[in-house]
Amino acid sequence: MNPLFTNKKVIALLVLPGLCIMLFAIAIPLLISLGLSLTKFAGFGKMTFIGLDNFFRLALDQTFWKSLYNVFVLILVTIFFQNVLAFLIASILTKITEKTSRILRTIYFIPAILSLVVVTKLWVNIFHPTFGLLNKLLHFMGFADSGRAWLGDPKTALWAVIWIMIWQGFGWALLFFYGGLMTVPKELEEAAIVDGANKWHLYTNVILPYMMPVLQSIIIIDVVSSLKQMEMIYLSTEGGPGNTTQFIALYLYQRAFKYTEYGYGNAISVLFVIIAVFFTLTIQRMFKKAVDQI
Amino acid sequence: MKKIIGILSCMLLVAGMAFAGGGTDAPKTDKKIILKMGDNLPDRKNGYGAVIEKINAEFIAAHPNVEIVTESYQDQPWQEKVKIYATANQLPDVLKYWSFSGMMKPLIDAGLVEKLNAKDFTGYGYMSGSLEGNMYDGSLYGIPVSGDMWVLYINKSLFEKAGVAIPTSWDDIIASAPKFKAIGVIPVSTNGKEGWPLCELFDNVSQRINGDFTRVNAALVRTAKYTDPDFVSAAAYIQKIVKAGVFQENLSTSDYGDARNMFGQERAAMYMMGSWEMSLATDANFSENFRKSLDVIKFPVIKGGKGSADDLLAWFGGNYFISSTSKNKTLANEYVKLLGKRFGTLAWETQACFPAQKVTPLPTDSLVSKKLLQIAADAKTTSGTPGLDRSDNVFKEDHQELIRQLCALMITPEAFAKALDASADRASKVK
Repeated sequence: MNPLFTNKKVIALLVLPGLCIMLFAIAIPLLISLGLSLTKFAGFGKMTFIGLDNFFRLALDQTFWKSLYNVFVLILVTIFFQNVLAFLIASILTKITEKTSRILRTIYFIPAILSLVVVTKLWVNIFHPTFGLLNKLLHFMGFADSGRAWLGDPKTALWAVIWIMIWQGFGWALLFFYGGLMTVPKELEEAAIVDGANKWHLYTNVILPYMMPVLQSIIIIDVVSSLKQMEMIYLSTEGGPGNTTQFIALYLYQRAFKYTEYGYGNAISVLFVIIAVFFTLTIQRMFKKAVDQI
Repeated sequence: MKKIIGILSCMLLVAGMAFAGGGTDAPKTDKKIILKMGDNLPDRKNGYGAVIEKINAEFIAAHPNVEIVTESYQDQPWQEKVKIYATANQLPDVLKYWSFSGMMKPLIDAGLVEKLNAKDFTGYGYMSGSLEGNMYDGSLYGIPVSGDMWVLYINKSLFEKAGVAIPTSWDDIIASAPKFKAIGVIPVSTNGKEGWPLCELFDNVSQRINGDFTRVNAALVRTAKYTDPDFVSAAAYIQKIVKAGVFQENLSTSDYGDARNMFGQERAAMYMMGSWEMSLATDANFSENFRKSLDVIKFPVIKGGKGSADDLLAWFGGNYFISSTSKNKTLANEYVKLLGKRFGTLAWETQACFPAQKVTPLPTDSLVSKKLLQIAADAKTTSGTPGLDRSDNVFKEDHQELIRQLCALMITPEAFAKALDASADRASKVK
């Protein structure tokens, strides 16, 4: 190896810019946020130190727990519905002709490249009880009684917003799975088939284990993006009706900038970071053994 | 070592060039001054926003070196934006905001709003109480622009089509709901997503039941309680209205534009909103048929209630302020003076809104503006600032959230009253 790259001073100098960026973009804001979470502060004007009061309040805040519950629901739906569907379709795409596969991949990916505002407004209009396409379609098909305010009805609002999120996120999941499937060596598949493996065994014992690093990345992205859900909810339901569609990132924003409870908003953000780190580490630990075996 | 120094020198050179690339702007030679403004009037071609644009044009004609850059959003996003700007200490030079205690007062306390000279505005015909609402500790901080009344806009042709008489009570409206639905029309549309119009509804229905606007203030200063029977009855009556299908199905997700469009596109027979929507009568975005059919009525009574239709929920709404962090305070001050001088006249001439200044009826006045003048003249009592804006910001947001839950039938009137009272109690104890 070039002696230049074993020189500790050079290594330190090369690492320094990245370290500085990490420090200023992540560590320092986190410390400031932690400091602000111990205050009663509107974001401007007088700031009062109140110790851990915001965290005690948070423990009893039903809306916070509701928003966290909704995040869990979204994570589960994303992992067990979106990902399973994306994996199945990606598997089919690897088996058909390249030309057809390319066309279908492009079509599936279109929602992912559309602006979030466009996608949200599109679905808000489709779900609109008066002008919306969905209710009109149901009416046309003779199911007029099934029509409703999909985003305004507490019974359907959460599923309607989750549908919008999945509709837009599906393209990414498909892309990751397709990319992962394409890296599985053909020889490995052929060897398994020669050894008598059927389709089920091929996928569960050969392909999926081989794709564990990909799966791990996808699940971490799913968890983080579920925790970060904010803009789409803000543009569609703003967490309503009655916090039915409240998510933790939107709740954080609302507390900080609608209620002007900046200190409380920061307490939520501190907990948000802890939850996100906990999830990421747990997933990494869960996958460690499987990834190490590859 | 020389090699190391050589490589590091190259890296520094590349980094230096990269940073230098960002700073190669030619020195500015012109003396263009940018006056930053912000408001809740995204439509700049019609109504209220168009009046501001006219005043901007007059200001620029008198100050050719000034460019006005305006940022506009709907009410709620604009309120949030102001709070974010205040947090970052980056408020625009001139901004439209609300003088209510929960909104302007925190900004004044934080030293973010510039004092104005009250004498500059004494000759502009402001209605009694309108300038005073912008005063704290004897100093003027803003100027009012509109006098707001809570009314019901109606589409007469849809009433005829449905065979419904113009309502005088909410009981009439409830009874008419099936007839409107039979012709595929929503009886009443309003902005339920932002919550505040439903809070105005709550104040007004409470008054129609107890006959006393001061009860809201009494609940906030704790000489009454929101759990008192009159407020619980008001909450129950609102749920009765919702259950009768009076409002649009997607009330909780229907924002300002959606509710307004449903009425303007003749999909709703009535529109519950403030007098600032008088410009619907001249809004070219909507059909001529709609504009001809447009009328306005007083907020209806409730049968058996103590309130009359001449008790008016009215307040002085939007106000203009100057940021104390503005680098162009003199210019901003000149702008606000021009606004004070010109807004009332222009707003009435163009039938954009009901200004906070005295107006002279014109032969060209629309039916809606004539009716609004009459509604104002008929008022026997007025409410002043709505309940949600009389306390702190947390109470305001709690009020909006709770009323949304009430209208989504997710909580009982009793639970609504209890939670609202708890919020009012908390706010009353905040120093």
